[in-house]
Amino acid sequence: MADEDKILIIMTSGKDTPRRCATPFFFASLAAAMDYEVTMFFTIDGTTLLEKGVAETVYPREGGENVAKYMNDCIEADIPFYCCTASMELHGLTKEDLIDHVELVGGATMWELADDAGKVLTF
Amino acid sequence: MAKIRGCDIPEDLYYFLEKHSWAKPLGNGRVRVGVTVVATKMAGNLSAVTPRSKRIGKELERGKSIGTMESSKYVGPIPSPVKGVLVAVNEALKDNPNLLVNDPYGEGWVAEMDVPDWETQKDELLTGQAALDAYEAFMEKEGFSCEG
Repeated sequence: MADEDKILIIMTSGKDTPRRCATPFFFASLAAAMDYEVTMFFTIDGTTLLEKGVAETVYPREGGENVAKYMNDCIEADIPFYCCTASMELHGLTKEDLIDHVELVGGATMWELADDAGKVLTF
Repeated sequence: MAKIRGCDIPEDLYYFLEKHSWAKPLGNGRVRVGVTVVATKMAGNLSAVTPRSKRIGKELERGKSIGTMESSKYVGPIPSPVKGVLVAVNEALKDNPNLLVNDPYGEGWVAEMDVPDWETQKDELLTGQAALDAYEAFMEKEGFSCEG
């Protein structure tokens, strides 16, 4: 049953497309600041940002903040990060390669989260 | 108006110090709320302030968001210092978000709420010298200043 106060953000953009990597996290932090219950689900290339040390090297704007800053705002706002296990295989990543905040889940969890959420955004 | 480390902290307001918001009783249970200069200094130059006008008529718990502040590198909630029904928001902030920065206790107010039990709730907030002392301690601990 969808809850209008729950928002799911599905992140499919990754380190190869830096300009697509700040806004999803910014929107997530903003939703949390508005008291929505926000969850982020990482799949396809989004998973690449969860590899330890990577987000620090991705700059959406030259001379601006790196993606790690935007991600940390989400972590501080207690926004859970779920990572699709199949996408880890796609990029040759293991659990040990990823930052601590991430919870590994199967693709079916995406459907459960989408079912629960009042709104779903995909980037 | 009192200044603590260069930050304006009016003694006659009631502060929810942990969240850097203030309350001002207007009489008849109506309370005006906003953010302190400390909050705006942390955020920097604002690109948007969005009061939660869709919540007008709804009861909000203390600490819940009555709006958001955005700058190019910051996004944060504006937490209500009181529990009450949101009755009005400052629409002027939409066109001029930096009213919040330039006049946080005046033209930059955020919302008004109906708080029938204000006389009870005000005891949860800091005012007068107690508020100034608490802000001095907070700024000392955080190394915070409005100077320079």
